[in-house]
Amino acid sequence: MSDSSVKRRTESVLEDPGALAVATMYARSYMTAAAQHQISNPEEELNSLVDDVLANSPQFEEVLFSDSVGRDEKLAIVDRVFAPKSSEFFANFLRVLVRHGRITMLPMIQNVLGRLRDEAAGRRRVQVLSARPLSDGSRSQIREQVKSKLGFEPLLQETVDAALIGGMILQVGDTVYDSSLRSRLKQLRGRLAEKAINEIQSGRDRFSHPEGD
Amino acid sequence: MKFKADEIASVIQKEIEDFRGQIQTAEVGRVIEVGDGIARCTGLSTAMSGEMLEFSNGTRGLAFNLEENSVGVVILGDYLKIKEGDEIRSTGKLLSVPVGTALLGRVVDPLGNPLDGKGPVITSDSRPVEWQAAGVAERQPVKEPLQTGIKAIDAMTPIGRGQRELIIGDRKTGKTAIAIDTILNQKDTGVICVYVACGQRGSSVAGIVEILREHGALDYTIVVAASSADPAPIQYIAPYSGAAMAEFFMYQGKHTLVVYDDLSKQAIAYRQLSLLMRRPPGREAFPGDVFYCHSRLLERAVKLNKELGGGSMTALPIIETLEGEVSAYIPTNVISITDGQIYLESDLFWKGIRPAINVGVSVSRVGGNAQNKAMKKIAGSLRLDLAAFRELEAFAQLGTELDKATQSQLDRGYRMVELLKQPQYAPLHVADQVIAIYAGARGYFDKVPVNKVQETERQLHEFILSEHADMRDKLVTEAALTEEVEGLLKKALEAFVARLAAKV
Repeated sequence: MSDSSVKRRTESVLEDPGALAVATMYARSYMTAAAQHQISNPEEELNSLVDDVLANSPQFEEVLFSDSVGRDEKLAIVDRVFAPKSSEFFANFLRVLVRHGRITMLPMIQNVLGRLRDEAAGRRRVQVLSARPLSDGSRSQIREQVKSKLGFEPLLQETVDAALIGGMILQVGDTVYDSSLRSRLKQLRGRLAEKAINEIQSGRDRFSHPEGD
Repeated sequence: MKFKADEIASVIQKEIEDFRGQIQTAEVGRVIEVGDGIARCTGLSTAMSGEMLEFSNGTRGLAFNLEENSVGVVILGDYLKIKEGDEIRSTGKLLSVPVGTALLGRVVDPLGNPLDGKGPVITSDSRPVEWQAAGVAERQPVKEPLQTGIKAIDAMTPIGRGQRELIIGDRKTGKTAIAIDTILNQKDTGVICVYVACGQRGSSVAGIVEILREHGALDYTIVVAASSADPAPIQYIAPYSGAAMAEFFMYQGKHTLVVYDDLSKQAIAYRQLSLLMRRPPGREAFPGDVFYCHSRLLERAVKLNKELGGGSMTALPIIETLEGEVSAYIPTNVISITDGQIYLESDLFWKGIRPAINVGVSVSRVGGNAQNKAMKKIAGSLRLDLAAFRELEAFAQLGTELDKATQSQLDRGYRMVELLKQPQYAPLHVADQVIAIYAGARGYFDKVPVNKVQETERQLHEFILSEHADMRDKLVTEAALTEEVEGLLKKALEAFVARLAAKV
């Protein structure tokens, strides 16, 4: 390679839905295979690889994820660096990923794996968007409400956005429960405008003959 | 009358007190890719095809492609204001436009927003843009005429209410002029007109609006304008919105006329959308469903049965051809969908035969039943006579000596061609058309020099109107050439010819 800088895939602002679907497939297969081999905590090794190794040595991550490092070289890296220290099962998983050119998906697979485990345990992630930081009281209230209404244990991911003015927005998966003051005001504005239009129209009808003139 | 500020304030206050905002639940997604009027979004797992969606900045969109992991959304508005990562919500509704009498006389965009600076369109009625066309049982045959006011069309390719008649021709052959003249001729007939400008130059739309206004035709016309500067999605939905606005009146039992100017540009806008959405290209790179795109639109033109009020929607789609190529993809499609076509030729146009209608190729498949009886009687042989004349004319150009009968047939033909010419924005009442064509076909103009025929025709109309108005009224009310009326007409024409001779 004549190019001195190492090439990497460009990162998108959002996860690519196609890539997410692939990562989900790998994560599910990983879980199933782990269950068949009676490996008790399959995420542990993956988490430690992503969080401890790759996060702490970005240069190594660059080499592993780079397109300019060949597949055989990457396989050799896996054999030399990971295989002696990890379980044979996990090393095999990494080899599969490298062979299929999906090693860059490791962080995404870790993410999906976490979500799958949560779902299996009856927990789901709930994004809470509120105008002000939540107090402990309202946090537990939200938990209770979600649990009784939707029937799962929520894992709250909180974001503060003053533009809501008041109230909050809960998002579970693709569904949004919006009780913010901002959208209520918007609703009210629409209602008032509609009322005014009806008022004008009825006023106009009063002065015209219904059968036409 | 005086408004009191506190009164209004108290009304609003009451309104606010009564307002109970419900928690809104909605399906959301995020934009992962945006550009060229389309967006690709994640989430929206329950979105339906054709559902209206709303971006976080209030711009509306249309779910166009439902894919395995994403939804392709058509953006109806300014796509430059939408960013990657923006939220998009489903609304559970279909795209609809405001409809009603408030739209008459207005110029609106395909979403119903006013473009004429006359303030908001105040109407509480709306109607989905896409609507299933009336079924077989809900229709009745086309049998009422829709007068275009153009002699050549009303005589030889008559249009009925509820018919779809294609206007096809190269650029600069007067396609729009025919449509506009038809709209002008609907004055005082109770027919509501919708003119859909799709992919036109802004200046020509403005010109058309001005002409309609000048002739007092804007009072019963809605102009839906999507100029070529508007994004492709807007141009794509323009004809459907126009149809929805007309349908509202049609289902009230009124007669409507919709002009789609022009559908080739709409097909191009649809091709752009489909290619950006990565739908596979077919012939001329148009998507496979471009036929359906036009057929479902034109199928909405209908004559409703009596139970549904007997309203009608007549469609005049316009197609622009390139170099007279009617066998291109879109022209053949639309020709096969419509109930006939008016074919315009640039050769005729530059020869001075305006409207430049090629009589031989133009047909109307259902309009004959709807034709005015008087017109039917005199125009029956007109098309064949003209065809025979064309043949003779070609033969005469060889310079051979002609016998007297042939020469007189030729002379009659020249005068008929001259008589079928008509200036723009001057639609004629069908009774006047009958009188003129009767006079020409029965040889009352044979003594008039060819270059004086148009002038003499004008004089004839004036003469009839001032001296034989009762005969004309009879023709108007009876709408048939009874023996009595024909006798009167003959007498009037003889008097006219005598006066002409005296003048010379």
